Amino acid sequence: MTMDQSRRTFLKRAAAVSIVGSAGPFVLNLAAIGEAAAASASDYKALVCIFLFGGNDYANTVIPYDQPSYDLYASLRSTLALPRDQLAGTVLLPATALAGARQYALAPTLAPLVPLFDAGRLAVALNVGTLIQPTSKSAYTAKSVPLPPKLFSHNDQQSFWQASSPEGAISGWGGRIGDLFQSGNGTSTLTCISAAGNSVFLSGRTAIQYSVSTTGPVPLLNNASSLFGSTATMTTLRALMTGARTNLFEDEHAKVSKRSLDLQAQVSGALAAGPAIATPFPSGNTLADQLRIVARLISVSQELGAKRQVFFVSLGGFDTHDGLLTTHPTLMTRLGAAMRAFHDAMVEIGAANKVTTFTASDFGRTLTSNADGSDHGWGSMHFVMGGAVNGRNFYGTPPIVANNGPDDVGQGRLLPTIGVDQYGATLASWFGVANSSMSTVLPNIVNYNPSTWNLGFV
Amino acid sequence: MVEGDTAMAEQQALQRDASRDSASDPSPSTLAALGVSLGLAACGGGGGGGGGGVTTGSTPPPPAIVLPTRAQAARFLSQASMGSSKADIDTVAAQGFAAWLDAQFAMPRATSHWDWLVAAGFATSASMNSEAGFDPVMWRQLIASPDQLRQRVGMALLDFLVVGIGGVDLPWKQFAVAAYVDVLMDGAFGNFRTLLQNISTNVAMGYYLTFAGNRKANPATGSVPDENYARELMQLFTIGLLKLNPDGTNQMNGNAPIETYVQDDITGLARVFTGWNLDSADNSTPDRMRRPMVNNASLHETGAKVFLGTTIPAGTSGPQSLSLALDAIFAHPNVPPFISKQLIQRLVTSNPPPAYVARISAVFENNGNGVRGDLRAVVRAILLDVEARDDAIAATSTEGKLREPIMRLTGWARAFGATSPSGAWPIGDTSSSSTRLAQSPGRSPSVFNFFRPGYTPPNSAMATAGLVAPEFQIANEPSVIAYVNYMAALVPNGSGDFRADYTTISALAADSTGLVDEVAILLGASLSAATKASIKSAVDSLAASATANRVYSAILLTLASPEYLVQK
Repeated sequence: MTMDQSRRTFLKRAAAVSIVGSAGPFVLNLAAIGEAAAASASDYKALVCIFLFGGNDYANTVIPYDQPSYDLYASLRSTLALPRDQLAGTVLLPATALAGARQYALAPTLAPLVPLFDAGRLAVALNVGTLIQPTSKSAYTAKSVPLPPKLFSHNDQQSFWQASSPEGAISGWGGRIGDLFQSGNGTSTLTCISAAGNSVFLSGRTAIQYSVSTTGPVPLLNNASSLFGSTATMTTLRALMTGARTNLFEDEHAKVSKRSLDLQAQVSGALAAGPAIATPFPSGNTLADQLRIVARLISVSQELGAKRQVFFVSLGGFDTHDGLLTTHPTLMTRLGAAMRAFHDAMVEIGAANKVTTFTASDFGRTLTSNADGSDHGWGSMHFVMGGAVNGRNFYGTPPIVANNGPDDVGQGRLLPTIGVDQYGATLASWFGVANSSMSTVLPNIVNYNPSTWNLGFV
Repeated sequence: MVEGDTAMAEQQALQRDASRDSASDPSPSTLAALGVSLGLAACGGGGGGGGGGVTTGSTPPPPAIVLPTRAQAARFLSQASMGSSKADIDTVAAQGFAAWLDAQFAMPRATSHWDWLVAAGFATSASMNSEAGFDPVMWRQLIASPDQLRQRVGMALLDFLVVGIGGVDLPWKQFAVAAYVDVLMDGAFGNFRTLLQNISTNVAMGYYLTFAGNRKANPATGSVPDENYARELMQLFTIGLLKLNPDGTNQMNGNAPIETYVQDDITGLARVFTGWNLDSADNSTPDRMRRPMVNNASLHETGAKVFLGTTIPAGTSGPQSLSLALDAIFAHPNVPPFISKQLIQRLVTSNPPPAYVARISAVFENNGNGVRGDLRAVVRAILLDVEARDDAIAATSTEGKLREPIMRLTGWARAFGATSPSGAWPIGDTSSSSTRLAQSPGRSPSVFNFFRPGYTPPNSAMATAGLVAPEFQIANEPSVIAYVNYMAALVPNGSGDFRADYTTISALAADSTGLVDEVAILLGASLSAATKASIKSAVDSLAASATANRVYSAILLTLASPEYLVQK
């Protein structure tokens, strides 16, 4: 077995024997050391992952703007290229200029993010993607390094971004961060919270994802005490829904119901008593709806006894095989408006420096077009936002704009120069994960030079 | 296979079993199940079931066929229908599984979704740019149509040959998607190769997976064909990502599974799906939405198409290329286990033993008459297999599948005669995970469906045991409560004029034991004695004369019980 596989087996066995809060056998010591150190945090921090499902088209999100690069972009993108004069309002002026006089502009409808960049609250990570280890084009072509399996497949790359392994993974790095901190939270089950349904990202080895609707927890029958005229029926209902069962499927369903009912009063109560957030969130925008409940939960984190939390929200529709020029700007509008509102809400509640938000996606897409859309790619551009971010800068290396150039594997599918592990390790490090614990969160990080684990954007 | 021979073969098989030493006989239910399976095997030997141990001359009287109990019938219908009415259960109990299947296979569709939409008045300009009519047409047949096996298999097919109306950006989209679902329903008992052909020229699919209007490469602009359909056709509809053994397990190269295709195969196959588009631009009626797409030769890639070790020669036309491509994919050894295992997961159980998958794959490969891809034979084999019929297997702690939320609604509706007299079927979009079912027919959020076949809930005993539980992908803290809230409103009040008829069940209302037992049977729920006692006790907390509330309580408590929620 390779070292990676033996580590995976180790982790799987650890997961099989782990019990929340127990002193456990030696297999848990690694996590326990990190947990003991992290759980003593006295301040509050939150990570918010915005997952863009479908594979966001990098080339029309962060667009080459310097004339030579733009000309290459326009000729290679042909029918999909945005006119340069539409980009004048969103050109980014970083504190440190890019080498080679390279420049980028944001998609026109990401305009709400430009002031954040200028104020140092937004950073742009160039060419981030799934890798197992740093990879060059020659190594890729020769297949002389291990590559993430099932590149270009939606579900597997979504999983690999979130969990460092393809579909079937049972823990993600957001949850594995939660593993280290949940014992420091008053209610450990409120460590990893999703407003976007089930995702592997927030499931840890022991940390369990808690799912919430965009209006908060869903109470059972409005917490009525009787059902169909009988209090006994209501009591029986709750007991039947939540009682332990022998059949594994039944028992899992009962566990989810029990968790839901047990936490509802606490979370709904905290939200109801919490401050009204004045910052308007855009309507008709499911991402904004999700970020609003996240903002409200963060605003009552003290009441919930939470010190370290990881959140997951999402937006779909990014698989722009066709209609890219009509669909993508709408998606960018929704993304930009939702992110801006969330930033402003964090400022409003005094949490701007405590909350770091980052985008993620299955993959980028091709640079070249299929006539009216782009196909599955690999590396992509991503945003990191928050008061603690070292914004107003680009991180990573601007890829050469080409078709089958040095930085892409054909059709402008970028070969990532930042691995998701490095992106994640930078965020985890800010959050409080020590380097000694980093491999429990991101197993493949050990394949990178430790001096590159922290990219410095936050 | 000739239908009339089935009963004969069953009788012969049972006769063989009955001749065994009675002390070692398995339970009557297992006997019946095995007898039916053996009967199938006898039929499957090729050319009718007349073989076996019948001597010429004297024919011994046929032994009594062991018929299912009502509970067993309801359990079967949980696998083979969208829900069981009392009449359905009584029919299966009276005829046996095979006879019911035969009748279902022979039953024509009463009407197509398309024709219903037209008859209901949705082919007017007022409905052209909305989804009006879509939810009613999808719910109506699931609940009310007598061809229940077809409905169930059609929905199973829709779970992996996915089109969701949200991704079909067309005028008359309700018609386009209705026509797609008609393709699945009409093809549910036909040949899978035919189904592949029909979905690959379907307008809704062409828009959903973006190959309508796809064109050959343009060297001047650098554009190349859209790869979407080529990728998902292979990954999700036919062969999957990893090479499979006939029993559904992964083929291994040392420690590693083996991929079925690489990016170049997708790029090569994408060239096949060029030049296809709707056959007209006429939007004055929906009609073009159900006519197959046609191929425009000038936009079709004329070069050779190379994929999966196949080469379609240069100069091959669009339609011929499509046919050759689908032939090549259909012939791939992955197809039988890939399709068989998913159908088993949709109908019977989330974790079929490899031997079960292998038996069904074999039927897919050859239905007994040398035909590959016979879905009718496959469905029959799945439902009559001992794995599906044996009560003892059903009772093991690792067995079962979480019922899809859609089927919990249709199950209740069929059990208690819920109908919409006006024909409006005002149930609507039930996708909300905070107020409804987290699932709605024809409204998958992506081509990956509401849940993946390989999903396992993290931090669960299933994960530790290496089991999958696909339907749990939409079970979370909001949705499990939302379901109960929603059913607690539907059970007594329905929705609009869509309401249940509790007349028959109300006759048992004063007898809490009888009420609870019958509700469980009608819903196909195998409840433990303890659960029944709990529900009975709750029912008895009401006066015996509180008929309506007693009925509602028994039904909702059953619908909310994990023992009901997990189909076994």
